Amino acid sequence: MEILHNLAFGFEHALTLQNLMYCAIGCVVGTLIGLLPGLGPLSTISLLLPLTYSIPTTGSLIMLSGIYYGAQYGDSVSAITMKIPHASSIVACIDGYQMTLNGKTGLALFTAGISSFIGGTVAIVVLATAAPALGEVAFLFGPADYCALMLFGFVCVSFVTTGSLLNGLAMAMIGVMLGTIGTDVNSGVQRFTMDLPFLADGIGLISIALGCFGIAEIVKNLDSGSQLTPFNGKIKLMPTWAEFKRIIPSALRGSVIGSFLGILPGGGPTIAQFAAYAIDKRFSKYKDEIGHGAIEGVAGQAAADEAAARTSFIPLMAIGIPENAVMALMMGAFIIKGIQPGPNMIAGHPELFWGLVASMWVGNCFLVILNVPLVRYWLSVFKIPFAVLFPSILFFCCIGTYSINNNLDDIFITSLFGIMGYVFLRLRLDPAPLMLGFILGPMLEENFRRAMLLSRGSFSVFVSRPISGTLFAAIALFITWQVLVFYFQTRRRRADPQPA
Amino acid sequence: MAVALVFGLGSLNYQLGQFSRAGPGMFPLMVSSMVFLIGLITVVRSRFVKPEPLSYNMKNISLVLLALFGFAVISMHINMILGIIFLVFCSSFAGTVPYSIVRNAKISAGLILIGFAFQKLLGLQLPLI
Repeated sequence: MEILHNLAFGFEHALTLQNLMYCAIGCVVGTLIGLLPGLGPLSTISLLLPLTYSIPTTGSLIMLSGIYYGAQYGDSVSAITMKIPHASSIVACIDGYQMTLNGKTGLALFTAGISSFIGGTVAIVVLATAAPALGEVAFLFGPADYCALMLFGFVCVSFVTTGSLLNGLAMAMIGVMLGTIGTDVNSGVQRFTMDLPFLADGIGLISIALGCFGIAEIVKNLDSGSQLTPFNGKIKLMPTWAEFKRIIPSALRGSVIGSFLGILPGGGPTIAQFAAYAIDKRFSKYKDEIGHGAIEGVAGQAAADEAAARTSFIPLMAIGIPENAVMALMMGAFIIKGIQPGPNMIAGHPELFWGLVASMWVGNCFLVILNVPLVRYWLSVFKIPFAVLFPSILFFCCIGTYSINNNLDDIFITSLFGIMGYVFLRLRLDPAPLMLGFILGPMLEENFRRAMLLSRGSFSVFVSRPISGTLFAAIALFITWQVLVFYFQTRRRRADPQPA
Repeated sequence: MAVALVFGLGSLNYQLGQFSRAGPGMFPLMVSSMVFLIGLITVVRSRFVKPEPLSYNMKNISLVLLALFGFAVISMHINMILGIIFLVFCSSFAGTVPYSIVRNAKISAGLILIGFAFQKLLGLQLPLI
C-alpha cells in the first residue's frame, strides 16, 4: 500500500495547474517537433531543452519527459502516414504504412495511440514498484561496481545502436575523451583546454547534442533535398468493437516486453519494438496478416515503444546511470537543474520522483485525449516547406546553446560539433554512444580513481567484488562472441569470393 | 565500411593518443590508449572488408557553418537582429529550393519576433539590440 500512498503523493504534485500545463505543452510541442522529418526524440529534446531553463525544477522535468514521449508518438505518426522512419519508429513503418495504403490510416493512428496508453500504464506500474527497490540495491554498489556497470553499458549501447561493437566503442571512448576536457576535479589542473578560457568548464552537453544531432541532421536533410508530399487522405478514427478487441492482447504483450527490455542497459524503445513485433508475429492469433497491415503489427510495437521509453527512466533514477543517449540527455537536464539522479534522488526529492512518475501517466492521458483526435490537424505541419523550417531550426540551435551560459563562444563549439556530427553521419557512425560516453566519462573517471584509491592501486578489486566481477565476465563473453562472429564471417567470405 | 572511414578514424585516434599529461592525465591516457587500440583493430579489420565509396556534399555543410559563425560574430559585435538576418539569408543558399528574398525577409521577421518573445516571456538574456 505504500506504493499507492506514494503515487497519491505524486499525483498531488503532478495535478497542480502549473504542472498540468507544462505536461500538456510538453506533449503537444514534442509531438509537433517529433512529426518533422529527421527529428527524432533525441534532437527534439536537445532543441527544446533551452525552453525549460526558466521553469521550476519539477515542472521543467515534467515538461521534458512530456516532450520525450510526445516526440516518440509523433515519430510513429509520421512513420504510419508517410513511412518516414526514425530510429525509434522503424517497425511502425512496416504494418502502419501498409494500413495507410489500405486506407486505414485512422485506425492505425488510433491503435498506436491506445496501445501507447496501455504500454505506458503498465510501464508506470513497473516504474513505481521497481525503481525504489532498485534504488535500495544501488546502495550496495561500490566504486568498482559502478565502473563495471558503466563499461557494460558502453558495450551494450555500442552494439545495439551501431550494430558494430568496434565502431560503437570507438565512439563511446571518443565521448569519454571529450568529457575529460576542462578542469580536473581532483587536482584542479586544466586539461586539453588549449588555454581557452571558455573550455575551462568543459564542453557543454547541449553543444554536443545540438551539434551532432540538430545541425548534422539538418545538413543531411539538405543534402538529400527530398520534398515531402503532405498527407491528404481522410482519416476515420474510431474503430469498430471487433477491431478494438484485437488491439488489447497484442498491446498487453507489447507492454510487458517493452517494460522488461526498457530496464536492461542499452535497451530502450528501439529493441523493444523489434522484439514485440517478432513475438506478435509468432504468437498472435492473426499472425498471417502481420506484415500486410494488421492491427496487431501496430499495437504490439507501439505499446512496447512507450513502455520501454518509460521504464528506461528506471536505471537513470534508481542507480544514476543512463542506459541510452536519450537518457543521457535527460540526465544532463537533471544536472542543469541541480539534481543528481541516483539512489539519493528518490529519498531526497520525493516530490520530484513521484511527481514525475505520476505526470507520466497524466501525459499518457494527454496523448490519448489531445493528440489522437487532433492528429489530423497536426499533419499539416508537413505543409511547411523545408526552406522555411531549416533556418528556423538553426536559429533555435543558436539560441539553445547561447542561453546556457549567455556566451556566444558556445555557438562556435556547437558548429564544430556540427561538422563532426556531419562527418560521422556520412561515415555511417551513430553519435549516440558518443553522447553516452561524454556524460558517463567524468563519472567513470571519478569512480575509477576512487576504486583504485580504496584498493591501493590493485586492479584485482574489479574482479574480486561479486557485482563487478560478474559484469566484467559478461563483457568479456560478449566481446569474445563478437570476435568469433567476425572471424567466421570473414572465413566464409574468403571461402566464397563472390557473395550473392 | 569504407577504407577512407577507417583510416580517418585511425588518424583521429593517433592524435588523441599523443595528447595526455602526467598526474591528472592518467585516466585520459588509459582511455586514449583504448581508443588507439580500437583504431588499430579497425585499420587491421579494414583490410578484410570491401571498400565503399563515400559521398560528400561540401557546399551545404560549409554554407550552414558560415551562417552559424557569421551569426555568432555579428551578434557579438553588432547585435542579434542583424545576426538573425544574416543567418537566414546565408543558410538558405544551401538546399535545392530556389532562392527567394521575400521569403527570407518573412522568416527573419518571424524569428526576430520569436526572439523578442523569448526575451520577454521566458526571461532569456538575448542581446537583441
